[in-house]
Amino acid sequence: MGRAVVWLLGAAAFVVAGVTLSDYTLYLIDLVAVTAIMALGLTIVTGVAGQVSLAQAAFSAMGGYGAVLLGSGLGIPHWLGIPLAALGAAVVGYLLGLPALRLEGPYLALVTLGFTAIVQTVLIHWRTVTNGQLGLPVPPLTLGGRALTSGRELFVVVVPLAVLLFLAARRLLRSRVGRAFDALRQSEVAARVMGVNPVHYKTLAFALSAFLGGLGGGLHALLTTFLSPDSFGIIESIYFLVVIVVGGVGSVLGPVLGSALLILLPETLGAFKQYQTLVYGVLLLTFIVFAPGGLSGLVARLTWRS
Amino acid sequence: MLFQAVASGITAGSIYALVALAFVLVYKGTRVVNFGQGEQVMLGAYLALVLNTFVGLPFGAAVALALLLAGAFGLLIQVVVLRHIAQSPPLTKIIAMLAIGLILREGARALLGSNAYPFPFLLSPAPVRMGGVLLTPANLAIVVAALAVMAVFYVFFRYARLGKALRAACENPEAAALMGISVPFVFGSIWVLASALAAIAGVLLAPLVTLTPDMGLMAIKGWVAAVVGGFTSLPGAVVGGIVLGVIETVTGSYVSTALKDGVTYLLLILILIVRPSGLLERRTVKKV
Repeated sequence: MGRAVVWLLGAAAFVVAGVTLSDYTLYLIDLVAVTAIMALGLTIVTGVAGQVSLAQAAFSAMGGYGAVLLGSGLGIPHWLGIPLAALGAAVVGYLLGLPALRLEGPYLALVTLGFTAIVQTVLIHWRTVTNGQLGLPVPPLTLGGRALTSGRELFVVVVPLAVLLFLAARRLLRSRVGRAFDALRQSEVAARVMGVNPVHYKTLAFALSAFLGGLGGGLHALLTTFLSPDSFGIIESIYFLVVIVVGGVGSVLGPVLGSALLILLPETLGAFKQYQTLVYGVLLLTFIVFAPGGLSGLVARLTWRS
Repeated sequence: MLFQAVASGITAGSIYALVALAFVLVYKGTRVVNFGQGEQVMLGAYLALVLNTFVGLPFGAAVALALLLAGAFGLLIQVVVLRHIAQSPPLTKIIAMLAIGLILREGARALLGSNAYPFPFLLSPAPVRMGGVLLTPANLAIVVAALAVMAVFYVFFRYARLGKALRAACENPEAAALMGISVPFVFGSIWVLASALAAIAGVLLAPLVTLTPDMGLMAIKGWVAAVVGGFTSLPGAVVGGIVLGVIETVTGSYVSTALKDGVTYLLLILILIVRPSGLLERRTVKKV
């Protein structure tokens, strides 16, 4: 009964928002949803499984560039190309998870950082395929012969998809797999003793994070309509870290709260918009030192008290 | 051609070595991986530039004051941020250091803009021919300055009372504390020293590259150097830096300049996978 009401209310809110809100507001909501999908990947691998990854921007590049290149090279439409590119990213993520078996903490952060740098170098220098620094235009998503370009049209696709992915992630993290990830973060040795196979679960966590990064990256490309190597560097990988830390590390709600704050905040900054990234840095430091639970932690603490 | 590449590789390598030295010092001493290292390098160069060009101090005084301020900033990192998260998991510390780097970089951009600033040259950039190899006095000065700094560090850690205390605390903090060495004082000193080292690297690096807020991304090279040298070894960091500098310029001049940076990152990943304890260190066994 309670669950059915929630679903109905959610569907009603979706329809009302889709009809009444302005196209620009819906575009911003799309951006939040897509960023949250990419950050959800980082929540799984870093927040829950405890494997520091600075590779999320590289995975999102694979999703975006992959989908566009599958379209231009093989004529594969986006609705198929984006999931395919995300699967490709997942395979790469699985492979990147292999070094994680031997490395931990700072070493792993360095490997994933180097990986992001390599992917960006390839994007810049492999001009015949990626068009280098000039970047690639992204053709729109077409469904049933109709090109979806406006914030409103993409809202219909992106937001329900994000909701489904988050529900699936919540289910996964509450299952045996999620508990294994938790155990790995808290103590790998203890997890191993309890029968959690680190090989299996670490590579799985990386593959999942890469899949979500790729999928979100492909959808993000539809919103920005342009791909440039500059938007897939180390700084962008740190940006995803800001999203999950501000939202709440390890909480499924974290990516949503974090993306919403980080995307909607600059809209309210007005004249201070040029200091946007500086504000991100200050937010990241403040949250990690004084409120390591992030926004979702603060919410939980407030509801606990009342 | 090869000698030429090696000569310029050593110039870059000696700066990487300084960055790696600062990185290893902090890691060994405080178990914090300084992901804001590169931005501290940038901070040093910008402080020297601002004090010299905008405030109008003579170059030497500007550099000295810049080192002092950079060291004070390092102390600030330890006292204001790291002390509060001393008991937190390593992930928290990594993120905090990334945040400090982000704040420094974007702070520099907000105050001085994204434009590149020319950095005052001390010596003539015109090359001199020496035994068939073209050498630039400015580059030679960089190598000499870097080597001098390393020598001072060596003497300090080997013979000075404070240096010995720092080494003791790095090896075994509990035992050092029992012997009457104040751990907060040691941590503070390490951050001051490492931050000043990073600032020296910045002042030396600035004439070789253009001075922009994104200059700090070069710190990856310093980290690679530290990894090559084994991550916890001070001499290893120096060797790693020079090896990396030479590999880089040799690849740049024989294979392709585009691949130069790619090779650095590939080296990083390969070494971490194949020999995480570095080329010089012995392997360590993790205890629970």
